[in-house]
Amino acid sequence: MSQPKKPWKKNLYENKEYEDNYTDPSFLKDLRQNYNLERYTYKECLLGVTKVSQEISIVTLFLIVFYHLYQNSVQPQTILFNSFTITGIGYLFYIGTPNLQKAKNVIEDSKTVVTVLLFGFYFSPLLHTLTDSISTDTIFSTTFIILFFYLLMHDYGIDGFLVSKTISLNCGIFSSICLASRLSTPFHAFVLLVVSSEVFVLKPLLFEKMFKPYMLIPIVLITIYYLLSISQLLLIVYLSTLFFINIACPYLFQRLHNHNKLIISGPWDEFVIISSEEDENE
Amino acid sequence: MNICLVSDFFYPNHGGVEEHIYNLSQCLLSSGHKVIIITHSYGNRKGIRYMTNGLKVYYLPIKVFYNQCILPTMICNIKILREIFIREQIQIIHGHSAFSVLAHEAMTIGVLMGRRAIFTDHSLFGFADLSAILTNKFLQISLSFCNHFICVSHTGKENTVLRAKMKASKVSVIPNAVNTLQFTPNPISRDKKMITIVIVSRLVYRKGIDLLASIIPYFKNRHYINFIIAGDGPKRELLEEVREKNNMQDRIQMLGALEHSEVRDVLTRGHIFLNTSLTEAFCMTIVEACSVGLHVISTRVGGVPEVLPEYLNVILVQPDIKSLINALEETIDRVERFRAGKSRKDEIICPFKINQIVSELYNWQDVSHRTEKIYRKVLEEPTKNLKEVMLTIVNRSGVYLFLLVVSLCYVIIKFYDWLYPANEIEICRNYNEMKNKNKNNYQRS
Repeated sequence: MSQPKKPWKKNLYENKEYEDNYTDPSFLKDLRQNYNLERYTYKECLLGVTKVSQEISIVTLFLIVFYHLYQNSVQPQTILFNSFTITGIGYLFYIGTPNLQKAKNVIEDSKTVVTVLLFGFYFSPLLHTLTDSISTDTIFSTTFIILFFYLLMHDYGIDGFLVSKTISLNCGIFSSICLASRLSTPFHAFVLLVVSSEVFVLKPLLFEKMFKPYMLIPIVLITIYYLLSISQLLLIVYLSTLFFINIACPYLFQRLHNHNKLIISGPWDEFVIISSEEDENE
Repeated sequence: MNICLVSDFFYPNHGGVEEHIYNLSQCLLSSGHKVIIITHSYGNRKGIRYMTNGLKVYYLPIKVFYNQCILPTMICNIKILREIFIREQIQIIHGHSAFSVLAHEAMTIGVLMGRRAIFTDHSLFGFADLSAILTNKFLQISLSFCNHFICVSHTGKENTVLRAKMKASKVSVIPNAVNTLQFTPNPISRDKKMITIVIVSRLVYRKGIDLLASIIPYFKNRHYINFIIAGDGPKRELLEEVREKNNMQDRIQMLGALEHSEVRDVLTRGHIFLNTSLTEAFCMTIVEACSVGLHVISTRVGGVPEVLPEYLNVILVQPDIKSLINALEETIDRVERFRAGKSRKDEIICPFKINQIVSELYNWQDVSHRTEKIYRKVLEEPTKNLKEVMLTIVNRSGVYLFLLVVSLCYVIIKFYDWLYPANEIEICRNYNEMKNKNKNNYQRS
């Protein structure tokens, strides 16, 4: 060619001399890989997952309570008394240092407690017979599925696709209503409801505030102790689940995330609006 | 050549893709090719319709499933598409828009029948969210069938090569175009005292309407600045709320959705055109606004920086509130200086001159010539056989399961070949060819 070509430019109107499928050396120069990618250490992952393990243990404990009520091996009064004590201690931790504003809250909270307990007590015969006509196998398998969903959708502090506080709470309460019908008296059912509301409603409120990874250890020990008295097989299942969730999964995640993850970004990405309030108020 | 343009999006729908298909087909028709368009039915509009210059449009009786698209079944539409391809003796199937399920299905079936497939994409995709991951996987599979890929901008090409794993040499860049005769300037209809800022856009998040909503209050005490907003969408309520809150009811005109033919008359009423898109492959509206002779302010996203040179009164800025307001201020200054007769010499370009320049940069004849070139190149390539297609699918996407779907499609096509042999299907007459012949005869005599 006699005349040298004009250099190619990345626009749509100046490259008449080039073929339409011409690919310039500058192709993909704006591509950025793993820009701003956060990397995690194994310890961070391990400590993060304790929240999940803790939740699994708590659900297991709830089912242990149900088991003892179901077998009539423990008096419901004992369980009720113990759960009240634990709740009371938990509440003290929840309010922390006392002051005037908090004292007002205490009155409000105790009103709520009394209302809930009264209603729970008077409606427990109804709840007790609500799912009476359904066979025990169905009840148990539904409970399993529903508690699985509870664990799946529980808010572990990370925003995600599946996370929904409402659904997970409903799953928990629904499972306890299912199980309540298997118990011998309405009072048993009432006790189970109280325990379930403590486990599924109050406990997340408390742990949101003050959960520390090391708190997993006593919870796991208590669970192991009570499981051992029921069945060794269950204990093995529980421990292996915990091992998988708390040791294996963080390892896999950390390895895949740090070595195999590839984020590509470039000019085609949708911009995220950074809104500044002062601009609006001008 | 016998060409079939397929997309879920066509008239009576409005938008960039529809415009592109319609104008491309008109240009191809006038250069003597046979062109048909396949789309799904729109309400009562089903069956075969003829549009301007005998453009034949098949509105297939398929129900819309989601977002103007049909349900992806892969196998349900084989019979009807196969018969159309045989009846019309189609050689090239040209699908449009990555969102269009019908286009993907038609290309799959066409290639399995030994036709060539070309695909034009009009949008950009990210790689981060769940829907993008799924669409990209689907696109990798679907594009294994197609012989050549057309993008509307170089950024689009980079995006496609990355997400569909196409070879870069198989991807061409052919921009959209604008009918500049339809978008001629008319400076008389501009307001003499006020400064009008025009926004023409669908009112959705992707078009940056949230940005716009935070820019508008900034001008609430400047009574000589008006806004005209054309378009409709879920974010309309947000804009109406902003208008109400800032007492700007008399200064912000919301026109709702417009016919494409009405857009020009709205554009001519303004001085400044504002585009706040967050992502855009080509952005036809800024070209339209530019050819009407407006000052164009746009966000620098996606393929937008490639579209227009700055000397045509175009300002591109980062998509944030501050830079957009700065650009608006600067342009308002320019308009005021011009009114006071104080503008610098190099600042003024006659709007009609701009229209002229834009028509040289972007016109449909050019687009259709370049597309034709690709058609010819593709026809020289050998047809893809089943094995090749399957190997490409596995190599690109790794979805082995889809091989089953492809083989099922293939078996069904073979079954129809046996049940309704191709030689028993009536061949359609090509009126365009006859018309051209008559024209030639007439000219000769």
